[in-house]
Amino acid sequence: MKRSKSESVFNIFNIIFNCIFLLMLVVPVLFIVKRSFDAANQLTTGAALFPARFSLVYYRTIFQDSTVFRPFLNSAIITVFGTALSVAMNAMGAYSLSHRELPGNKLFMFMIIFSMMFSGGLVPSYLLMKYLGLINTYRVLIIPPAVIGIHLILFKNYYQSIPAELKDSARIDGAEEFTLFRKIILPLSAPIIAAITLFTAVGYWNTFFTAIIYVNSPKMHPFTVKLQEIIIEQQEMMERVDRMAAEDMRGNLDDESLASAIIVVSTIPIIIIYPFLQKYFTKGIMMGSIKS
Amino acid sequence: MENAVHELGTGHIKVKRKVFTKMNITLYLMLLPTVLSYLIFHYIPMPGLYLAFSDFRVSGFRDYWVGFENFEYIFNLGNFWQSFGNTWIFIILGYVFVFPAAIILALLLNEMRGRFFKRTIQTVSCIPHFVSWVIVGGIWITLLSPTYGYINQIIKLLGGEPYYFLIKASIFPYLLTFIRIWKDVGYNAIIYIAALSSIDNTLYESSVIDGAGRWKQTIHITLPGMKSTILVMLILSFSGVLNLFDPVYVFQNPALLSIAETLDTYIYKVGIRDARYSVATAVGLFKSVISFALVIMTNIVSKYITEDKETILW
Repeated sequence: MKRSKSESVFNIFNIIFNCIFLLMLVVPVLFIVKRSFDAANQLTTGAALFPARFSLVYYRTIFQDSTVFRPFLNSAIITVFGTALSVAMNAMGAYSLSHRELPGNKLFMFMIIFSMMFSGGLVPSYLLMKYLGLINTYRVLIIPPAVIGIHLILFKNYYQSIPAELKDSARIDGAEEFTLFRKIILPLSAPIIAAITLFTAVGYWNTFFTAIIYVNSPKMHPFTVKLQEIIIEQQEMMERVDRMAAEDMRGNLDDESLASAIIVVSTIPIIIIYPFLQKYFTKGIMMGSIKS
Repeated sequence: MENAVHELGTGHIKVKRKVFTKMNITLYLMLLPTVLSYLIFHYIPMPGLYLAFSDFRVSGFRDYWVGFENFEYIFNLGNFWQSFGNTWIFIILGYVFVFPAAIILALLLNEMRGRFFKRTIQTVSCIPHFVSWVIVGGIWITLLSPTYGYINQIIKLLGGEPYYFLIKASIFPYLLTFIRIWKDVGYNAIIYIAALSSIDNTLYESSVIDGAGRWKQTIHITLPGMKSTILVMLILSFSGVLNLFDPVYVFQNPALLSIAETLDTYIYKVGIRDARYSVATAVGLFKSVISFALVIMTNIVSKYITEDKETILW
């Protein structure tokens, strides 16, 4: 097929555009990485993306300064326990919901969908947590966010696509419902469980808003809140004091470089599990769009 | 499930089902934590909206019922309308730039001939979506930093003067819109790419025979083929549209407060930081009502736009 001249021009434009797009995605990250390893950032000129003076001091700070390390630990705790609880609750609950004949099924579905559209708002939720004594605990970041409507629906749809004969034959063999769930449904659901586990973990790892509202003790903050504090501090300092003086005040520790190191460390888990995320994600989108 | 079939006199058959069979009990038990969670964390706070009609403070109830006084109060506050207006600015910019950007990217990637390059772009552009706004904010604040940020370093390299991006309230909306695109365009495009791949190839082939060039193909085949996907995405996006906290909060500084305050950040400040519970609940209720109205409106409108004349949401 002969390609017209304008098509070739378009192709070139497309490639150039996407190259620029790729650069715009990658260069900011490279700069942050460079900042995190650079002890003398003010000496860099031009478009250099290599540290002026390579140093691990900011990474060392993360592990040695407990005000920086603790938030990471908090995030890890929230993520591990939160993901376990959330996936368990959603996988189990959705199984019940997948039984259309269960009395009350429609009511439960309505309850879930309605709550997605209408909520009590921030203040009533906050007051409830206060009343329950959940303010400033790990639990408030783990339990309330555990049940996620979309995950319930995804699990439910998956269960409903499992052939009924499998379930029926197990029941005929005398299996109890929960055993059926454990021994047959769960192994068959491994792909969706893996996908939702990954998404849930990323969600918990990124906890920010709920932490700001319900947790005011610095000891319990996830790394996101700590990072935000450092960035704000840095911005305020930049406005009030001369940059060099600011650095001297902190004994040569550059807040922005520390923030950069925190960004790098906190993004590593996501980068690691991202290939797995992507595999399920594109598959899921394909399935979902074909269905609709 | 045990069924007992009773034949009634009129010839109707009534099936009497036993609700609490062993299987059902197990199922209910499995559902229990989920239902409890919804009841406690979603439904118990709902009546809390009553607070919007009372005067409730940290010290307790000053007044059990004040009618619409709280609403009168906030409607007279400049800050409230400012945050409301700002929210809409970001929403509109979002639909003008962020929403089409994903479609455009999908179209461009679809036309891309190098498979490896295409996959690379898709993979890499998706990643910022999974990273929290705090991190994205941190990245861009560092990048735009007045003296040592990369952007300003390049400006200096090109002979210009460093520009303090992050305190200019006039460019902030566009800056934030750009960063929102940066974060989400790759992920959002995936859905459109999937839709594009489902368009029948024979349509393209026959159009070539009819002499259609790329542009005509796009207008007459590609875009109509994506129409339902675009509509669904558009309508789905309306439900959470007034929620705007993280992207704005992470960039807030004193110089930007005139523009970088949305309804959500305003509610947070008034309700949690200042602990003015009743006022904040009133603002929240206002926001919920508008959101709800939006959802209903778009659902009704969707009836007239979709091909099967059905509403999208229910």
